[in-house]
Amino acid sequence: MIHIEQLRLKFPGAEKRLFTDVSLSIKKGEKVLLLGPSGCGKSTLLQVMAGIIPRSIDVPMKAKKLHIPNRVGYVFQDPDAQFCMPYVDEEMAFVLENLGVPREEMNEKIAHMLQRVRLRLPHVHVPIQTLSGGMKQRLAIASVLALEPDVLCLDEPTALLDEEGTKTVWETLKEVAEDRTVVIVEHKIDHILDFVERIILFNEHGEIIADGSTNEIFSTYCSFIAEQGIWYPDVWETYEKPKTAQQPYVQADVLLHVQSLRGFRQKEEKIAVDELKIYAGEWIAITGENGAGKSTLLQSLMKLIRTEGDIYWQQQPLTNDELLYDNIAFVFQNPEFQFVTNRVDDELAYAFRLEKRSEHEVAEEVERLLERFHLNEHRHLHPYQLSMGQKRRLSVAASVTERHHILLLDEPTFGQDAKNTFALLEWLEAYRQQGKAIVMVTHDERIVSQFATRRWVIENGKLVADEPIAPRMLVRGGMG
Amino acid sequence: MRWNIEYKETWLHQTNPTAKLLLFLPMFVVIVFVHNPNVLINWTIGFTALFMLFSGYRMKHVLLFFVPFLFIFISTSSSMILFGKGETTWFRLGLIHITEESFYRGVHLGFRTLLFAIFGLMFALTTKPVLLFYSLMQQAKLKPKYAYSFLAAIRLLPIMLEEFQTVHQALKVRRAAKAKGFRGKLELMKRYAIPLLSQSIRRAQRIAVAMEAKGFTSERTRTFYYEVTLGKYDVYLFVVMCVIVAVGYYMAGALPYVAIKDVR
Repeated sequence: MIHIEQLRLKFPGAEKRLFTDVSLSIKKGEKVLLLGPSGCGKSTLLQVMAGIIPRSIDVPMKAKKLHIPNRVGYVFQDPDAQFCMPYVDEEMAFVLENLGVPREEMNEKIAHMLQRVRLRLPHVHVPIQTLSGGMKQRLAIASVLALEPDVLCLDEPTALLDEEGTKTVWETLKEVAEDRTVVIVEHKIDHILDFVERIILFNEHGEIIADGSTNEIFSTYCSFIAEQGIWYPDVWETYEKPKTAQQPYVQADVLLHVQSLRGFRQKEEKIAVDELKIYAGEWIAITGENGAGKSTLLQSLMKLIRTEGDIYWQQQPLTNDELLYDNIAFVFQNPEFQFVTNRVDDELAYAFRLEKRSEHEVAEEVERLLERFHLNEHRHLHPYQLSMGQKRRLSVAASVTERHHILLLDEPTFGQDAKNTFALLEWLEAYRQQGKAIVMVTHDERIVSQFATRRWVIENGKLVADEPIAPRMLVRGGMG
Repeated sequence: MRWNIEYKETWLHQTNPTAKLLLFLPMFVVIVFVHNPNVLINWTIGFTALFMLFSGYRMKHVLLFFVPFLFIFISTSSSMILFGKGETTWFRLGLIHITEESFYRGVHLGFRTLLFAIFGLMFALTTKPVLLFYSLMQQAKLKPKYAYSFLAAIRLLPIMLEEFQTVHQALKVRRAAKAKGFRGKLELMKRYAIPLLSQSIRRAQRIAVAMEAKGFTSERTRTFYYEVTLGKYDVYLFVVMCVIVAVGYYMAGALPYVAIKDVR
């Protein structure tokens, strides 16, 4: 089905070749997972297999033999960057038009494809914007199925989805892909281990270090996989969390106290809570379904959107919104939005310069932060040139200063590999030990049960539960 | 354009977008060469009536759409009225000099902008972008490459708007959403523009790759999900426009509102 011999590929401007003489072949009907650390070139290889490189993305490459199938269906990572039409039916029709399907047959085909991915909609003319991430990905799968592909290439199709979306997307994929050849690149692999038969393991230099059945790879290369920060199923079980985690903080004063807080978007009330208190040394996890209003709650606490209600800061009624920015730090989901300068070190210096500290002091503080967040080697780079994990570290390091007492985070571990996630969680735990409060939106139940001391559950714009979490050890569970 | 405002589909919505474009565009040129204010006033009345009656939008929304254009009407005409040249002085105070000629010229200019606005609004409010591009591909032989690029770009706009709000919030909490002085403002513009642009450039590139991955090439002949044809409504529109233009022109000669026939 796919046969590649001695592939060489180098991105223009890159110092090193990404691949040197990589060879592999995949037989018809095989389900293969490409596994390796971030930046090892798995996605690039997938794009070569799909013919996207060099057809759509022009990258210089050479191979002794290159046999790739004619019809490939490719599902991308970003649900917002795979559609060109505004409505569900129009997007499906776009693919059918490309194939030259007669107009009379289109409606039937569209209905059939949507049914195959179990996308049940009131009618087909629904704006894509109104779908959830998981539904968008299923729509992407449906439109790819219309191509009747020989091979399905899945490039981290669930990386940007929540737990529920991830589950439904993989269920759908397993159903529709059963009798097809499938090549997958994925970091979160719990859901697919029973589906893939073969794993090809890469190291960070883009070399294949192992190729074999799923069980074989996991039993032989377990420690290698763990080192690379891949989310393998046992990762939490083998992880040793800091001893302080979930231990109550000694001096728990009330920092923020809100009463009958309501947050609005346009004129619509999106969140309403009767009462909330945040104490020093707490780690609060905000959970709930997509669109329930978790992010909106964070924005309301910070008064970033229009709010009504009473807010008290350390028992005093809030007189001035600036006081909130002085005491509460906010780390956004997309770190890029928060960068304000052109260099990593300037980015870290920004807050100190704002406080009008002497340049000597600023330099010292910046050194300290660079050290602490392992950004020293990259100090001269533009923040955008950093990797995903580095960007996240920088955004945390730059947003949070000593004067802050509360740290709000909107899904900070989203799209991060295991290594980066644990590093961030450990930093947050150390920060909490200084008597700071952490409030984070998360979908990851493991983080809640291992690190949080309290949980807020949001449902339909209402706070439905506010409960403490008792520290507990995780029961070791087996995996196949 | 797509607004989140409800409307009824009227026959104006059923017209062929390309035909509508071809009927409206020449009007912009014609209007520029009309110098008789009586004609423009009549046309404004006629086309406003057409718009009000058949746009399918609620009257209060239609009136709201007009507010900014009314403002432009007043500002363009008043600057011409107050500071224009002319012989017959009506009023003079310092720099302000109102003459009969400048008054009519100002009013004329005002009606010209208003007519432009009516045609623009009428087109935008009764045309779905998707159908416009399907029609341009089918009737005007626009290359699919360009049509679908535009459609993809339209999808990006609301996403960009959302991102703008997020960037604003993100900068606010870092106390970087305000700046003093010219250089500070310039710096501020960069702070907004760079994340927004880099995000949309990357997204646009990804969409382009995704479109090609779905078999979008210029080689094959494609079929169309929406078949857009010419129909009786296009004839209606043509006839209605001819009637308004002709009657307006005739009445301007027969029953003029003002004596001036040429404002130049």
